[in-house]
Amino acid sequence: MAFVAAAAGWLLRLRAAGAEGHWRRFHGVGLARGFLHPSATVEDAAQRRQVAHFTFQPDPEPREYGQTQKMNLFQSITSALDNSLAKDPTAVIFGEDVAFGGVFRCTVGLRDKYGKDRVFNTPLCEQGIVGFGIGIAVTGATAIAEIQFADYIFPAFDQIVNEAAKYRYRSGDLFNCGSLTIRSPWGCVGHGALYHSQSPEAFFAHCPGIKVVIPRSPFQAKGLLLSCIEDKNPCIFFEPKILYRAAAEQVPIEPYNIPLSQAEVIQEGSDVTLVAWGTQVHVIREVASMAKEKLGVSCEVIDLRTIIPWDVDTVCKNADPFSLGLYPTGKMKEETNNLY
Amino acid sequence: TREVEVAVSRDCATALQPGRVLVASRNFANDATFEIKKCDLHRLEEGPPVTTVLTREDGLKYYRMMQTVRRMELKADQLYKQKIIRGFCHLCDGQEACCVGLEAGINPTDHLITAYRAHGFTFTRGLSVREILAELTGRKGGCAKGKGGSMHMYAKNFYGGNGIVGAQVPLGAGIALACKYNGKDEVCLTLYGDGAANQGQIFEAYNMAALWKLPCIFICENNRYGMGTSVERAAASTDYYKRGDFIPGLRVDGMDILCVREATKFAAAYCRSGKGPILMELQTYRYHGHSMSDPGVSYRTREEIQEVRSKSDPIMLLKDRMVNSNLASVEELKEIDVEVRKEIEDAAQFATADPEPPLEELGYHIYSSDPPFEVRGANQWIKFKSVS
Repeated sequence: MAFVAAAAGWLLRLRAAGAEGHWRRFHGVGLARGFLHPSATVEDAAQRRQVAHFTFQPDPEPREYGQTQKMNLFQSITSALDNSLAKDPTAVIFGEDVAFGGVFRCTVGLRDKYGKDRVFNTPLCEQGIVGFGIGIAVTGATAIAEIQFADYIFPAFDQIVNEAAKYRYRSGDLFNCGSLTIRSPWGCVGHGALYHSQSPEAFFAHCPGIKVVIPRSPFQAKGLLLSCIEDKNPCIFFEPKILYRAAAEQVPIEPYNIPLSQAEVIQEGSDVTLVAWGTQVHVIREVASMAKEKLGVSCEVIDLRTIIPWDVDTVCKNADPFSLGLYPTGKMKEETNNLY
Repeated sequence: TREVEVAVSRDCATALQPGRVLVASRNFANDATFEIKKCDLHRLEEGPPVTTVLTREDGLKYYRMMQTVRRMELKADQLYKQKIIRGFCHLCDGQEACCVGLEAGINPTDHLITAYRAHGFTFTRGLSVREILAELTGRKGGCAKGKGGSMHMYAKNFYGGNGIVGAQVPLGAGIALACKYNGKDEVCLTLYGDGAANQGQIFEAYNMAALWKLPCIFICENNRYGMGTSVERAAASTDYYKRGDFIPGLRVDGMDILCVREATKFAAAYCRSGKGPILMELQTYRYHGHSMSDPGVSYRTREEIQEVRSKSDPIMLLKDRMVNSNLASVEELKEIDVEVRKEIEDAAQFATADPEPPLEELGYHIYSSDPPFEVRGANQWIKFKSVS
């Protein structure tokens, strides 16, 4: 109900904005405003459950990248890291507890396969981890740093924003730390509370010089992570931790790339554009089908994938500037009516 | 002969009655002197004394407090496994001598701040087991009204309960500055673990405290493992008491409550005399894993845990000392055990039965604002008030 309400809210705002075209249809629908408001949401326990509900929707098996295997999100990450370390002899993985496989099992088996000089633990010092990673990257090696939870990224915020993001610019392209990728589990999981649930992409979304990427599924994750690692700019890759086990689909075994700064139109539509990333994409897909079923609204669903620099063209292609809905994931919800 | 038999049987009957009769008829020592381990010193000429006097009254008090913390942690373990406590739960059984010993060495007007393994400190700083267990179960009778949980419990002069590793140490230095500024001769105990000892902000706090001679006692609770990483694999120098470099330090046996108490008294006196900060390393051990999601045996052997339990358990050490010096009897201590168990059971009952905080309170205290600030929920029609 909350999702229908969210989508429906858009319709009401669009009417108010006086947008032309398709909207005229809805003037005559005659739905009472109250119909669309979830009046009992706060009290009803079932409503409360729904606010945290989503169903992972796997994508169809990809055919163009060779043999595939069923993998969940953490296995697809391991596969991507495995491919990277195999291809690039300078690649190293480091972070807290990565040696035994990581607290989410993303690095299982890599230390045995590639050696303890390529997969190693760091002490408990996020600022040190990222600063150290920048240093490795500046010398030309590929640094893949792990921050154990996105909630702990803040001691490293200065290093990311002031050092990593500006290195190429301030040295006039003499130096850069483009081969740095920071991976971090991200987003709410139900029992994480204050410090194991945060979605901090917005803090980084206004910092030129870095790229922030959030996948929605195992297939997307592997391709996007490989692109981040190979990208010549420092990247932050947030992995929705609730999907580590919950999301499983067919993922190619061989390496492949999904381009950065390209949003994906998951479902075409003609009335409303819904934009989301990470876990919320699956919520929005349900919203879209509910809107179709209950309101006859045709929604376009876009997975933004790269938060900065984001794909303005795809998002704006079918939507005029007054009719855009942005649905950031996790705890924060923002709406904007204007694009710059 | 028959009269004698009657007399003997009457004596036996007396002996078999519960402890109170025996206690009344026994003579306990009022106090006893014990030898304690000498502390390793860094940049200090003299350390805490190597002998200490323990009174019967203090001994019973410490025993009861340690046993309460132990039982409370074990009850929390049980409730967690029954899914009555959810989320994260970091238990400190094995480390009771630290929280009780530190409290014994300071005044209630002194200040204390620690990291997330805080249930023991919450109790020793004055909160009841009821409030602590209710906070763990997330009920409104909890000390943070059910909104803080395991890692966020606070009391008067106890600043929590902090989830982010190492973040509490600069806070502790700040509290020490306030102590110095207020001029009331108070000190601040700033605790952190062996894992946190490698965080940069700790060294920033060391520098500020030493530069401005703040009455801050930095205390590293070294339980040998930072989550699953042993100290040798995380630290270039495992002499945590020396890591303050220009700050004097002492290494204390954290399993012996008397050692901890004497060291704390020494450290507090040092700070109160205006000489600046001091660093204490408490060598201790936790029986449970890092948290309830960690079995605790993948990075250490069961034999190691068993060895510490049988040789260095803090409650056992105190009990042996008291019984052997005639400060208390085994039965008397058993009685305390029974009373403690009952107290914990009652508290667990309350914690399970108390209602959760009402949903309207979800947004309370986000801001302090008059009139109440409106906070948006998961969609724009769900509104909470931030009443403060």
